[in-house]
Amino acid sequence: MNSQKTGWLLLAPTLVILFIFGVVPFLYVLVTSFVHWNAFAADPTPHFAGVDNYRQLVFDDQFIFSIWQTARFAFFVVLSELVLGYMLARLMLSDFPFKGLFRTIHALPLMVAPIAVGATWRLLTVPGLGPLPYFLDTFFGYDYRIGSFADQAFFTTVVMDIWHWTPLVTLTLLAALSSLPKEPFEQAQIDGASRFQIFWYVTLPFLRPAILATVFIRMMDALRTVDEIWMLTGGGPAATTRYIGLYIWRVVFPKTDYGYGAAVSLVTLFLTIVLCWLLYVGLVARRGQKSVN
Amino acid sequence: MRKFAASTALTAIAMMVGASAAHADFWSDAGKAYEGVTIRGVSESTPPSNYVKDVLAPAFTEATGIKVEFEATSWDQMYDKAIKDMEANTGIYDFVYIEQDIVYSYLSRDFLVDLTKALADNPDLKAPTFNFDEFTSFIDYFKNDDGDVFGVPMEAFVKIYLYRKDLFGDQEAKDAFKAKYGYDLAPATTHQQYKDIADFFTQWGKDHDMELWGTTVQAHSGHPASWYEFFESWGPTFGVYNWGIDASNNYAASVANGGSMNGPKAKEALAYWLDLLNDAPPEATQSTWDEVAATFAAGRAAQGLVYGENAAWIAADDTKSNVVGNVGVALPPLSDGVMAEVEGGTGYIGYYDGGAFGIPHSSKNKEATLLFLQYIGQDEVQPGWAIAAPRITHTATYADPDVMKMDAELDGYYTLLKDKGPLFAGAPPYPFHAQVREATAPFFYEAIIGQLTADEALDKMAEAAEAELTKLGYRK
Repeated sequence: MNSQKTGWLLLAPTLVILFIFGVVPFLYVLVTSFVHWNAFAADPTPHFAGVDNYRQLVFDDQFIFSIWQTARFAFFVVLSELVLGYMLARLMLSDFPFKGLFRTIHALPLMVAPIAVGATWRLLTVPGLGPLPYFLDTFFGYDYRIGSFADQAFFTTVVMDIWHWTPLVTLTLLAALSSLPKEPFEQAQIDGASRFQIFWYVTLPFLRPAILATVFIRMMDALRTVDEIWMLTGGGPAATTRYIGLYIWRVVFPKTDYGYGAAVSLVTLFLTIVLCWLLYVGLVARRGQKSVN
Repeated sequence: MRKFAASTALTAIAMMVGASAAHADFWSDAGKAYEGVTIRGVSESTPPSNYVKDVLAPAFTEATGIKVEFEATSWDQMYDKAIKDMEANTGIYDFVYIEQDIVYSYLSRDFLVDLTKALADNPDLKAPTFNFDEFTSFIDYFKNDDGDVFGVPMEAFVKIYLYRKDLFGDQEAKDAFKAKYGYDLAPATTHQQYKDIADFFTQWGKDHDMELWGTTVQAHSGHPASWYEFFESWGPTFGVYNWGIDASNNYAASVANGGSMNGPKAKEALAYWLDLLNDAPPEATQSTWDEVAATFAAGRAAQGLVYGENAAWIAADDTKSNVVGNVGVALPPLSDGVMAEVEGGTGYIGYYDGGAFGIPHSSKNKEATLLFLQYIGQDEVQPGWAIAAPRITHTATYADPDVMKMDAELDGYYTLLKDKGPLFAGAPPYPFHAQVREATAPFFYEAIIGQLTADEALDKMAEAAEAELTKLGYRK
């Protein structure tokens, strides 16, 4: 009993901080989502609105489009970063000249703030100034203008994110690959397994926890991306790259529609949790059940 | 240019030294009570703001002992930070930039200190060298219905038609233009002329293997700058005023309800503006006001509507501009009847932009900040400021010899500002400025990239504007 008290006492500071910085803001957003409140409305005071804000977002084409674009963005970046990250991690397990230097340079994007990444890519992609449009036009005759062409803008944001975050995936998988036991691989080789069979039946199952953790982290990051995109495209052209984070920012800050912004934020949080839960059920729980059976 | 910059800086410093010597007693005496106090402000990073940050704030600190932390940031961030601070009443900022178009929103929320009243209540803090009457009529935008002032103007300029004098004066180009269009090449006074010139120089650039296009277009497809270029600069030249919203008619925006946002003039204007993209450099759809100025300064456009705050460095700073000495200034082209409406008091030909510094009620250092605002609002500091960044807020500044010299370098921009400034107007007095902009802008961006036609976009925008105004409680 005494040790239980000590435990709670030691936990107390963390719990208080979590309550103040996690629970209280969440409750505030929750309450705000049930009011009509715009700082520059004829009546700027909050008024209870019931579920009006939630009803509004169901019919909000811009919100639905932003969700769809965000899902596409997250799918492309997470999948690409996982594949590229794994390949780079395998590469870094082998020996080659200047490996240390390569590893350092490869990790540099992680140290750059997202807003600076966006600014850098903006400079890279502005016609008349940036090298990308110049070289694409000079060597391939390709008209590259992310302010005018929606697909170009979308895939440029995808490539920018891959450039920025693949090193994180690489380092995580490299750590996991480095800690794999040798015996199962030797056993598989002795049993005559092909390289693909070894990858599929030995490497992947061992890497599953690391892959899942990486996918969760990267997916949640991708779903709430704002800074880089805001700096590179401002969400344009039109709504092409107005991912959900940017949409919420526009509703809450320039538009000062706090009630609706809170509702959109909560629904986005809910969708993120559902997505993660589906992934967990699909990739972890079912697997665990199979193992038990 | 270096020689010019050095002499400008020396002149500015000399004037401030002179000013502070003449009124040393007031500034040092008034500052004594606040010595060591730090006041904080936020503004958009523009040439006029940077002059305050780099020159006026340090001079004020030297004169009074009051430190100034000046945050010059992006336009969006500036609004975010200022509004959040004032809304939450946190008191992080002691002075904030009030752009002319947002002042009505701030006044509606009673965010700002009444400076007239504050000075009347604190006569000890009233600087002998500061007088509201010395400002141009631009200060009227920062007054309430009683005539009290809520912001000290720190910049005022018009969005002006700039053209390349070297290209317009090139004999070969003049001959070719006359042969093709049947009239002389000169700064456009009508939209058709402007389009002809744009077409001509775009083709001229191709024929002469030059990186040259016919016009700048501030057409960022994801930033409100494009929305502003249309509603505040091009729309009025077609006779579309106040964004096409009729405040006296229940804030109607659509033609069906008595507004004109989707009226024939607006549709003609938007179709015309979108067509200009064919004569604009490829960066146009990624261009805000900054990039438009950079494009013109790089020599990539023959003409364009450019914010006046950038005119000085484009015309005179050879470390940044490729067109020094070749910049001409004129009024924007107009549709028939617009000038008559302006003279009749019902219209305007473009945007008279600018801003002021105001003190939020949330400030914890109101008195010290009041001193700072008066310091930057003195007549004495204005000429140096006007030369560093072409903004004029005081009537006397026009007659300053250095400003007149600069006026010649800027092809008469200051003279135009003085004589023709009243033809331009600030944003309409709407407290829902950003809200309606954000509600309508998505359709505008779709028009820029061709997902909607001009007509479709404006119909949707008028509908969205009315829906937003109803939601906000302005439209019944």
